[in-house]
Amino acid sequence: MAKHLLEVKGLKKYFKVGRNQILHAVDDVSFNIEQGKTLGLVGESGCGKTTVGRTIIRLYDADGGQVLFNGRDVHQLNRKEYKEFTRSMQMIFQDPYASLDPRKTVGAIVGEGLKIHKLCETRQEYTERIYELLETVGLSREHASRFPHEFSGGQRQRVGIARALAVNPKFIVCDEAISALDVSIQAQVINLLVELQEKLKLTYLFIAHDLNMVRHISDDTAVMYLGKVVEKAETSELFETPKHPYTIGLLAAAPEADPDFEQSRAKTLMSGEVASPINPEPICRFAGRCPYARPKCKQNEPELMDVGNNHYVACYKVQEGW
Amino acid sequence: MSRKILEIKDLHFSFDTYAGEVQAVRGISLYLNKGETLAIVGESGCGKSVTVQTVMKLVPTPPGRLKSGKIIYCGEDITHYSQKEMQKLRGSEMSMIFQDPMTSLNPTMRIGRQITEGILKHENISPDKAKQRAIEMLAKVGIANPEKGFKRYPHQFSGGMRQRVMIAIALVCNPNVLFADEPTTALDVTTQAQILELINELKQELETSVVIITHDLGVVARTAERVAVMYAGKIVETGLSRDIFYKPKHPYTSGLLESMPSAGQVEKTLTSIKGTPPDLFAPPKGCSFAPRCKYCMNICTQTDPDEVQLENGHKVSCWLMNPQAEKRELPGRKSRLSTQKPLKEGI
Repeated sequence: MAKHLLEVKGLKKYFKVGRNQILHAVDDVSFNIEQGKTLGLVGESGCGKTTVGRTIIRLYDADGGQVLFNGRDVHQLNRKEYKEFTRSMQMIFQDPYASLDPRKTVGAIVGEGLKIHKLCETRQEYTERIYELLETVGLSREHASRFPHEFSGGQRQRVGIARALAVNPKFIVCDEAISALDVSIQAQVINLLVELQEKLKLTYLFIAHDLNMVRHISDDTAVMYLGKVVEKAETSELFETPKHPYTIGLLAAAPEADPDFEQSRAKTLMSGEVASPINPEPICRFAGRCPYARPKCKQNEPELMDVGNNHYVACYKVQEGW
Repeated sequence: MSRKILEIKDLHFSFDTYAGEVQAVRGISLYLNKGETLAIVGESGCGKSVTVQTVMKLVPTPPGRLKSGKIIYCGEDITHYSQKEMQKLRGSEMSMIFQDPMTSLNPTMRIGRQITEGILKHENISPDKAKQRAIEMLAKVGIANPEKGFKRYPHQFSGGMRQRVMIAIALVCNPNVLFADEPTTALDVTTQAQILELINELKQELETSVVIITHDLGVVARTAERVAVMYAGKIVETGLSRDIFYKPKHPYTSGLLESMPSAGQVEKTLTSIKGTPPDLFAPPKGCSFAPRCKYCMNICTQTDPDEVQLENGHKVSCWLMNPQAEKRELPGRKSRLSTQKPLKEGI
């Protein structure tokens, strides 16, 4: 029996974008998630965090590495096994306006999984289950016959959550599940996710760029930069003692709702922009923006290494203690 | 030196649609001092963009309709200026940065022409001089190799760089007021930090007053001296940034602040505001926040509260401020400086 519900080992996903041009969206990413825990995955747009989520759930085929769910490689499953697997893993998408079929009623959207997996024997059981799901996420049964356009963003995201929960999954990939919502609604959805996690013993991969929310909801956090995980640790450890220069810069850039603190903090900005993920050289991908970069950083690529306290960092400066 | 450069008095603005009248702005009064940064915060649909677009006269009328109110710029009433008169103000006196740098630049025009357009329109200056000014401005906003950038098209720039170009266009004629409508919402955190810093630097250099519209309270804390919190077409609370964050007096402000997780928070559940904002087709009777307010009293659903003045220009529209109401301590943010040692920072 595997201790980790999900193990990702050396996952790679490349996209061909032109002649001899390969975009390394995800390049050798590894992490584990324990049952009932939440892993936060943060990074800027284009760093590959969504691709990681999609490859884990096999919406994309991996170009290398393994995704072990309960000890079995997701990408080796045959069709029948894969269908069975989709019952255990579900996804909540970023844009609640684009991820619901506008021509289906909310009831049909939520119930689709029930039908596909033949989870209900009678018609009545099916409708009862849909009502139950809608009530679980804080909607009411009258909503089942309505269409997505009749709902607000927050309510639509609840429909998305109900759809994900319909098949009793063990694992949910939340891909920027709250970033399209207003602040006061974000808190409602986060609370719902936390509550459901406790009640249903769910495991989450929480992909987001809002650092404060990730800090709030995740047990562990991994920071991605250009297709690589550059730092990974327990959430409090990572946020209190960030080690990788990129993580430090990212945390310093995120504004906090605290005027006095904002006034006092040093305005230290990360310069430059993210390099291109197309045909990257095997060097530290942050080296071009890193103020501490030495020649070594531009010749070799640092590996993710444990620097104590289960704190993994891929940076020569930290590993060798310059 | 505190002088009002822009003042809005009891502005009402509606849209006439087939479904009826949407009361987007329902009586807003605010002012902007010279050289300060004012933030307007609120959720989507609360009327914050409509307010500044009304000032700039960028909302097509109809369907929009200015019902009442006054807009005073530098002592002059510009409420009923024609589009032709406004054209003289736009760009040279007040300008705007939009949220989405991808769609607000003209994709068929070179960057250079988009910048010089404004200069040539407003000033009697030769095209060569204008080009020189534009290149200087591009350098100022941090575009590497401005001569080359001048000849490029918008699609050749990244999102952050496009927003820099937008800022260059907005500031090239040295306006007095800059409206920034969600200038960093479409950008990443590190780029956001760069752009906010750039706006701040240029503001000081060019002595521009800035109105920044955002829904991100972190951005407010970083940039603004004064804050106006909007809800359902009204300003519910306004005051100095520190007062709003640490001593909010309106339940909505307090709720917004509470719904953001803070750094040292232990409990897993966030305090959220229940329900959703009201429909502006038929705004509720009384205080529009009442249906979602945990301190709601009988009177709140009957009559709209008056604005109450507190110290330092802090103003609140809430019945809790009434002497007869029960005294409540509304939770605000606690400064990290007072509770924790600050984050170690590098880079």
